[in-house]
Amino acid sequence: MAEVMQLRESGGLLRKRKLGKKQGHKKKPKLMPPPHGQKKVKVDKKMKKLFRKRAREYNSDDDDEDEEENEASVPTTTNKHNGDEIDSEEPSEDEGKTEGGRKGWNKNATDEDNEFSEDEGGEDDGVVQPGIMKFTEGVRAFKMAFRNIINKSVSEDLLGPILSGHKKLIADKLAEEEAERETKGEAKKEKQKLAEKGHVTPANYLVPHEKFLISVATKGVVKLFNAVNKAQSAQKGLDPSRTKDAKEIKKRTKAAFFSELGKPSFTATGTSAKANARTGKVEDEQPAWAPLQDNYMLTSAKLKNWDKMPDKSVSDEVERASEDSSSDED
Amino acid sequence: MRKKKHGEFRRPFVVKTNTNTKQQPHLASVDPITGKKIPKSFVFSRGKIPGPLKQLQMDLRKLMLPYTALSLKEKRRNNLKDFLNVAGPMGVTHFLILSKTATAAYLRVATTPQGPTLTFKINEYSLAADVAKSQLHPRCPKDLFTKSALIVLSGFVSGDLPLKLTTNMFQNIFPTIDVKTVKLSSCQRIVLLNYNKDTKQIDFRHYSIRLQPIGVSRRIRKFVQNHQVPDLRNLQDVSDFVTKAGYGSESEADEEAATVTLSSDIGRVNRASMKSAVKLQEIGPRMTLQLVKVEKGLCSGEVLFSEYGKPGDKGKHDDEDNEMQDNEDEDDSEGSEDQDGNGSEVDEDEGHEELD
Repeated sequence: MAEVMQLRESGGLLRKRKLGKKQGHKKKPKLMPPPHGQKKVKVDKKMKKLFRKRAREYNSDDDDEDEEENEASVPTTTNKHNGDEIDSEEPSEDEGKTEGGRKGWNKNATDEDNEFSEDEGGEDDGVVQPGIMKFTEGVRAFKMAFRNIINKSVSEDLLGPILSGHKKLIADKLAEEEAERETKGEAKKEKQKLAEKGHVTPANYLVPHEKFLISVATKGVVKLFNAVNKAQSAQKGLDPSRTKDAKEIKKRTKAAFFSELGKPSFTATGTSAKANARTGKVEDEQPAWAPLQDNYMLTSAKLKNWDKMPDKSVSDEVERASEDSSSDED
Repeated sequence: MRKKKHGEFRRPFVVKTNTNTKQQPHLASVDPITGKKIPKSFVFSRGKIPGPLKQLQMDLRKLMLPYTALSLKEKRRNNLKDFLNVAGPMGVTHFLILSKTATAAYLRVATTPQGPTLTFKINEYSLAADVAKSQLHPRCPKDLFTKSALIVLSGFVSGDLPLKLTTNMFQNIFPTIDVKTVKLSSCQRIVLLNYNKDTKQIDFRHYSIRLQPIGVSRRIRKFVQNHQVPDLRNLQDVSDFVTKAGYGSESEADEEAATVTLSSDIGRVNRASMKSAVKLQEIGPRMTLQLVKVEKGLCSGEVLFSEYGKPGDKGKHDDEDNEMQDNEDEDDSEGSEDQDGNGSEVDEDEGHEELD
């Protein structure tokens, strides 16, 4: 039964293949070398078998006849040449032996275009049929050979049986690899060391030097905060969003600006030259309110020469005024 | 009718958001209150640098926050000109360039686009992670890096040209503070540069600032800070919680020097017109720098100062650089402190990056 099925399929295949050739590639088979074409056919056959099988499984309800009929009907509509060919195929589905005869008839009957492909088909069937037989035989032979090899007992060795001939060579190579790895590792370590150069992990405890640095930094922060406090306590209670207060602040900043102009520029001293706290430092130097200053009305050369340098005295007055206004808040 | 009204409602809102979100970055090049230009920086590396240095680069970027490109991507084929081209439109004023040679790592601090460039040799460095690892309780509040750090320079005696340049450079690398308008709560971090006259090395440290009220026991301070129900199991009375003194663990000795009176409230515990103690905790990274070269241009140009070569030498730049490298090689071999060696070995430096 299986054989019959196979043959039938092959018949179907033949028909299908022919159909394809007719439609698309009329000249292609001629150009193609026979072995290649043959191979292609073989592959096609396998695939088609598979597809067929799947299709059968898919619609298992339908009987085979139905399927065959459907297929047969397709070429009749599309193909004029194979009209009689289909008739001849009907018996071939039942009997495998008539296949060859049919082929021969086909060979004679079809036109030149078809002849070549027909030839291929014939060859194909001829090769495959004994090929399967050979394959089954080959499987047995292979099985025997494989079993032979597997059953062979070999000496237990680290290097294994296959490399036994080159045992010494392999040992040398392994040793060499080992040495190479060692040198590589060393180089890597060296590189790592170079990459880590200068990288130190700090100690868990507080080193005196670090303590000193922290104290220096703290001093700087304290100085800044005090300066900020001094500057901002003056304008405390004034809300910049309120226009009146904003005006007041503006006035003060203006006054402060003029006072800055009047003063000599600040020169950085040795420790903690902090530019940011500059203004605060200047304010540190003398009390804001003029009468509280040590040298008020005493050493000021400006007062002595009040009639000589009118410009400067004006600016001084502005400065005084600013300091007065700021001291009011305090 | 309704639509129109809606549109009218929406319009000012949209404009407002625009001014708030989109124009802020543009305006950010100028301080909104003082009107001063805010310095911005790029921290990047030249040449191939090893992993720890990459980490250091990241730490430096965090240190320079918020006015820096935290995730600045650089490729090997980017040269200095590329960065310079980007720096112009972005308003970047300073470059911090890390590089690595066989002898040591180097940090170049430069102002764009004209220079000068200060080249520091990093004798030693520790990463922020290392510092945090060494501490029992590393401190990192959420808003620590939202405001720029303060800078304190110490021990820089004025008069010497390279030192003057260094102070100037580092003062200008951070935004200036207006004493009258600054909010103390925005002062969260401080960068300390301490110059050691004897070793000619600069200690670079990065601390976080913490303020604690004085005269309040630790328990109460913690209670106010954390808002958690305290453990009263071992106490006889609630009053014990207030009156009982805690451990005398806090070092009260040097606190007088580190106390400030605040002008405004900071946080929940530090009220205005109350004494507060300033406590610093290191964040890292820490570096020990040594000024080796000052160039007039941006990583090029006339060499104003060189630790090893003659400052007046106006040879070709590359030669100068090589000489510097050689001297460093020698210096390294004989010990890190002394730098009088005027080595003349002609030795091709291997890991040095291209400078232009």
